[in-house]
Amino acid sequence: MANVTGALVAKSLVLVAKKVEQNKDYLCELDGEVGDGDHGVSMTIGMRAVSRAAKALPSNCTPSEAFQSAADAYADEVGATIGPLYEAAFAAAAEVVKGKQNLNEISDWANVYRAMADAIQKLGKAQLGDKTLLDAFYPAVDHIQALASKGGNLEAALLSTAERALKAAKDTRNLVPQKGRASRLGDRAKGYQDAGATSLAVVLKGFADGVKKG
Amino acid sequence: MGFAHEGIADHGYTECFLCHLVFEYLSVYRFLPVTLGASLRLIQDRITLPTNRSDDAASFAREAGESLLKKLINDPFDMVEEMVEGYVAANDQIIKRVGKRSIARANSPIPGKVGIVVGGGSGHLPAFAGYVGKGMADGAAFGNVFASPPAKPVIEATLAVNSGAGVMYTYGNYQGDCINFDKAQDKCREMGIKVQTVVLNDDVLSAPKDQAHKRRGIGGLFLVWHVAGAKAEQLASLDEVVAVTAKANTNTRTVGVGLTSCIVPANGKPTFSLPDNEMEIGLGIHGEPGIKRVKVRPIDSVIDEIMDAILADLDYKGSDVALLVNGLGGSPAEELYVVYRRVKQICDANKINIKFKHVGNQVTALEMQGTSVSLLRLDSEMHDLIKNTTVDTCMYKKV
Repeated sequence: MANVTGALVAKSLVLVAKKVEQNKDYLCELDGEVGDGDHGVSMTIGMRAVSRAAKALPSNCTPSEAFQSAADAYADEVGATIGPLYEAAFAAAAEVVKGKQNLNEISDWANVYRAMADAIQKLGKAQLGDKTLLDAFYPAVDHIQALASKGGNLEAALLSTAERALKAAKDTRNLVPQKGRASRLGDRAKGYQDAGATSLAVVLKGFADGVKKG
Repeated sequence: MGFAHEGIADHGYTECFLCHLVFEYLSVYRFLPVTLGASLRLIQDRITLPTNRSDDAASFAREAGESLLKKLINDPFDMVEEMVEGYVAANDQIIKRVGKRSIARANSPIPGKVGIVVGGGSGHLPAFAGYVGKGMADGAAFGNVFASPPAKPVIEATLAVNSGAGVMYTYGNYQGDCINFDKAQDKCREMGIKVQTVVLNDDVLSAPKDQAHKRRGIGGLFLVWHVAGAKAEQLASLDEVVAVTAKANTNTRTVGVGLTSCIVPANGKPTFSLPDNEMEIGLGIHGEPGIKRVKVRPIDSVIDEIMDAILADLDYKGSDVALLVNGLGGSPAEELYVVYRRVKQICDANKINIKFKHVGNQVTALEMQGTSVSLLRLDSEMHDLIKNTTVDTCMYKKV
């Protein structure tokens, strides 16, 4: 059972960045169907900045400091639509775990994911069903909150939460986009899987693997 | 269900450490202009590959060699950084750098003048930074290719151009730009700077007329910023500059046609596919889909459709206009004059008086071939503003 310290959160962020970059072309392909085909690039640029910041953290950093470094990296270097959204999400994660030395409980991560999703919702103002990353994130949040109330193994919980997000991302195929560039297409965008929802699932998988790796 | 089986690359350290390393190397080196052999050597220098893996490594390297982009760049992820460095150096008579991704007129802040800050993704030059200089904009923020800048460079530009008379942001209507510029606006207002924003939405075919607030901003910004810059140059108040900019936007319409896709360097592939024998009417300047694809045909009939869409959306009959026939980056100037010829014929037939015209690449989409036509319906105020103002910016001059 891993002790999820700030240093491990930082290492997980580096792993998240690697996973996002591995999927750069795939995410661009998904985005290219309905948008401008650069989602994988934007996410890679953002997560490269996060990775650099995480690697520069001291080994005794807190989980809050690790999440805040990710927020700051996005604020300084990313832009696009996704930049402010992930910045707000990581800043909210930093806020909700303030004072904690480790995130060993499922409920800690449920709080982190809930805070991240709420921050994205507040800034982007998307509703469930608008075909955005929230359509992957909120089902995942509900999933991990249910697990938190039951108790159990953190690693397994994070992994099944990431898988729940991926399934939800695939289900975005049936939705008509209401936000972002794709929204101008209306029904023409039906049948395509949302790139932002997919990358969110990749991010959650990165956290799951990071914690599992220890 | 596993991620790897869902189309998602998911090579964790534990499952395949070697793949991970190769992936890491590919992501770093695949675009570098080095030979196939050199790429392979870079990989082999770092890790000794087991024999049964060398074929894999060679095929990865071959793939890397094949995907080198034939563009005037180094590492695609460094392109914007290196472009800004060159841009600032090449225009040092007109601008100064005020941050990593922000510029301002060399003599800013100009006492008593409203500062106009523009910006957006890279890949559209001369838009947007090209218009920093006398008679148009005071500052600009550079984003990554086709991606809005974050708030930080917008704030840097704002601080650099603020004379106390206030600052106006003006940019095209895209969600990313709106979020990041709004954030900069909030922060600058907190610092006590007067900031107002005019978002541009001239692209007729990007949303129906009753949802004009959803329309994108494209080539028309070139005309709108003429008016805005001229007003600010006269030391008008912030409210006056905002009002005339909004008025110019309300009276501007644009429709474009794209002939080819374009390659975002860090993406490495064409953004979308457009068959050799088709053109797309209404195509966006980031490759957003338009309203319809038509078979390649003589351009007059396409321009007729474009002008029909513009004239159906706003009544230009009998009006004075400023007009832009814009190139999207990859079409020769000769072709743009063929387009202008037809646009002029249609304007004449509709008794539209072209008071100012420009033909050339202004709001581009990397190397995309195609054109857009923008018309600004002038009243006497806007007419006189354009007529009486000298423009001397980094990438556009008008006497």
